[in-house]
Amino acid sequence: MQYTTDIRVIRLMCTGRMDPVIMADAFIHGLDGLLVLGCLFGECHYVSGNFNARHKINMTGEMLAYAGMNPGRLSFRNLSSAESELFVKHVTDFSTEIRELGPLGGEADKVPLPKLKENLEIAKTALAGPKLRWVVGKKPVFVDTGNKYHEVFTEHEINRTLSGIVIDEMATHSILAALQNKSASVKQLAKELEIPPPETLKYILGLKRRGFVEMESVKDHTPLYKLGASP
Amino acid sequence: MEKEELRIGVFVCKCGSNIAGYLDVEALDEYASALPNVVFTQWNLYTCSDVGLDEIKKGIKEQNLNRVVVASCSPRTHEPLFRSICAEAELNPYLFEMVNIRDQCSWVHMNEREPAMAKARDLIRMGVAKAALLEPQEIITSEVEVRALVIGGGIAGLTAATSLANRGFPVILLEKEKELGGMLRSLNRLAPMDVDASEVISKKIKEAEDHPNIDVYTGAAIDKVEGFIGKFDVTFSANGTTKDVRLGVVIIATGAGNLVPEGMYQYDGQKVITQWELEEKLKIGKIDGNNVVMIQCVGARSAERQYCSRICCAVAIKNAILIKQMNPAAKVYILYRDIMAYGVENEEELRKAKQLGVRFVKYDPERPPVVEEDKVTVFHHLMGKELELPQDMVVLSTPLIASEDAVKIANLFRVTLDENKFFLEAHVKLRPLDCATDGIFLCGSAHYPKDVRESILQALGAASRASIPLAQGEIKIEPIISTFVDRDACRGCGLCVALCPYGALEIEETDEGRKANIITVACKGCGVCAATCFRHALGINSFTDEQIQAQIHGFLAA
Repeated sequence: MQYTTDIRVIRLMCTGRMDPVIMADAFIHGLDGLLVLGCLFGECHYVSGNFNARHKINMTGEMLAYAGMNPGRLSFRNLSSAESELFVKHVTDFSTEIRELGPLGGEADKVPLPKLKENLEIAKTALAGPKLRWVVGKKPVFVDTGNKYHEVFTEHEINRTLSGIVIDEMATHSILAALQNKSASVKQLAKELEIPPPETLKYILGLKRRGFVEMESVKDHTPLYKLGASP
Repeated sequence: MEKEELRIGVFVCKCGSNIAGYLDVEALDEYASALPNVVFTQWNLYTCSDVGLDEIKKGIKEQNLNRVVVASCSPRTHEPLFRSICAEAELNPYLFEMVNIRDQCSWVHMNEREPAMAKARDLIRMGVAKAALLEPQEIITSEVEVRALVIGGGIAGLTAATSLANRGFPVILLEKEKELGGMLRSLNRLAPMDVDASEVISKKIKEAEDHPNIDVYTGAAIDKVEGFIGKFDVTFSANGTTKDVRLGVVIIATGAGNLVPEGMYQYDGQKVITQWELEEKLKIGKIDGNNVVMIQCVGARSAERQYCSRICCAVAIKNAILIKQMNPAAKVYILYRDIMAYGVENEEELRKAKQLGVRFVKYDPERPPVVEEDKVTVFHHLMGKELELPQDMVVLSTPLIASEDAVKIANLFRVTLDENKFFLEAHVKLRPLDCATDGIFLCGSAHYPKDVRESILQALGAASRASIPLAQGEIKIEPIISTFVDRDACRGCGLCVALCPYGALEIEETDEGRKANIITVACKGCGVCAATCFRHALGINSFTDEQIQAQIHGFLAA
C-alpha cells in the first residue's frame, strides 16, 4: 500500500473534537486543504461524535466559503478503521482535488490573498462566538428531541437558520473589524464591505443596541460610528 | 508558578530496516536536534528493545528530560510501553508524545525518498511542537459499589444474575411481570436440543430464587437512575414499595417482544396463528387437521422492519418436525424466502425436517403467498407456476421486536438503541457485551433476536464483563478526558450536557453560580463538549486546542 506524500496526519480521539475555530485557524496559517476522516455514520466509536462533527464541518465550510475560500478545501469523509484501501482512496482523491485548486488564495478562491486571510480572521472570530456555536451545538437536539416547547425541526430548517446566521455574523464581525482603527459612516462601511446600505444600517443599529459600537460624531449630517467603549 | 524550562528528548527509531530502509534516520536525528526546546536526540536500531528503552530512561535521568518524543511506529501498539518506561524513570507518562514515521511514512512512501524525508521531518516537528505543550496527568481511580443490578428475569437475566451471584457478588434482579421466566414460560420445546422449555426455565428460576446472593423483585419498574460506573443510584418500585439502591454495574436483559401480525395473511389467532401461538397448541399436544402451511418472514425483512429475526426459521423447522412426529400423515409446508439454519445443529434439523417430509417452497417477496379459506396459493418460482396448498392451519413466523420498555430503559440509563430499538453494543467486534456507557452491559434478545443458547452464552459473557469492576473494587481511567481550561468562563448553559453521549457532564449549583461538572469516570474524551462550548471553558487533556493548533502551526512553519 503506497499513497501520496502530500498528507500529514494529526490524531484526535474523535472527529467530534473538531472545533470550528481550529479549522479556520489552520487556513489562516496557510493550510491548503483540511481533510477530516472519521468513522462511518452509525458506527462511531464515540456513539455520535461524527454526527456532531458533520454539523460543525458543514457550518464551518459554509462560513469559510462565505469569507471567500473555495469550500473544497475543507472536507469530511468517512471510513472504518479496517478500510485501508478506502483510506488511500480518500487521501489520494483529496490530494488531487487540492492540487487542482492550487495554493490558498489563488485562482480557485473567490477572494485573493492577503484579503482572504483578513476575511478568514473575521470568520474565525465569528466561529468562536456564541451565536453560531450555540445553534450548531443545539442542532442535533432540535432535530432529535426538539426545543423546550417540543417543536422538532427538520435539518433543512436548522440549516436555513444557520446560513442566515453565517451571513449576519460575517457582516457584523466585518463591520467591527473595519471600525478597529477608525470611525466611519454607514455609507462608507457599506461601500467598503460591499454590504447594501440598508443592511449595514440594520447591523450598525444592532451593534449599537448591544454596546459594541457607538456614535462618535455627526459630520455633514451623517453620523460616524466607532467601536463601543465597553461592549 | 514559574514555568519550567522545556527539555525535550527525541528518540528516532530505525525499526531495523522498516524505517531505516526508506528514510535517513540519522539525518532525521540531526534535524530533530535543531528544533526548539530539543536538548537531546538519539537514534536507535529498535527503540522498543531493552537497549532502546534503557536509553530513554538514561536520557530522562542524565539529561533531565521533561518531555519525551519517540519517532517510530504506531501508538496503537507501542504508546503504552513507552509511557510506562517514562513512568519508570519518574517522568509523568503523559509528557510523552509519539510520532509515527513508520506506518504513516516509511511503509507508505517506499519509492519516494525525498518527499518522504520531508514528511518525516514535518511529523517530528509537529510532535515536538505538541510535546512542548503537554501537561502531566494522573490516572483517575474511583471506588466501585460491589453490587449488580440485572434488569429482566428471562433466561438471559436469570443466567447473568446467577452467574454473578455464584462469584459471590450480591445481585438485585428486577422483573416487570409478576413471575420470573420471561418468554420461555410460554414456549413448548426448544430447538435444537429438543428439551422442554418449562423444565429449563423452572430450574433457572429456582436457582435464582433460592440463591442467597440474589434479591428478586417481580412486578418491578425503574423510576430513576443517576450516577455512573461504580456508583449507579437506582430508584425502583415493586409491589407498591419504592427502594433506593446503589449499584456498581448494570446488566440489561429486558428481552424482546412478539410481533402480532394484525392484518397480514388473514391473521385471526384461530386458524391463522403465529409460531408463538402454535407453541401453546403443541404444549397441549392438539393440532387440528392434517394440512399445515407455515409462512416465514412475516413482517420481517420488509421496508418497515429490515432486519432478519434469525430464530424464526429454526423455530418453524422445529415445530414442523414436532408436528410430523406427532402425526406422520400430516402435510407440512414451509414457505420461505431464505432459510436461516446456521451452525451445525440447525442445519441437521433442516435435513431431518426434509427427511420427515416437510416441504420447503421458496417464495418471492414480490409475489407473496395468498391465504384463503381452505388453501394457500404460492408462486413456485422454479416450476414457474402457482401452487395451491390445502390448509387446515396457517402458521405465521413473525420476528421478535424490541421490547416496549426499551426506549424508557435506554433513556434512564443513557444508553443507545439501534434503528429497530434494540439495545446497541459499544462496538460490534471490540466491545460486543458492553453498552457505550461504562458499567452497563447487555445480553439476550434485548440486543437482537437470539435463541436460548445464544442468550445464555451472552448472559455468561456479560456477567463475566460486569464482574471485572466488581472484583477490582475500583476502576482506573485514562485521564485523556474533558477538563476545564477556563472554569470561570462556564455559565452552566448545559449545551455540553445535552451533547455528551456518555452522560459525563452535569450542571451543578456552586458558590460561583451554575457550572458544568465533569464526571471524570464516565468521560471518554471524545471532545464534542470542548468543540461545542461557546465560552471555550472546556478542553480535552492531551488534545487541547493549543496542542492541536501547535501541531498544525508546527507543520506550516517549515
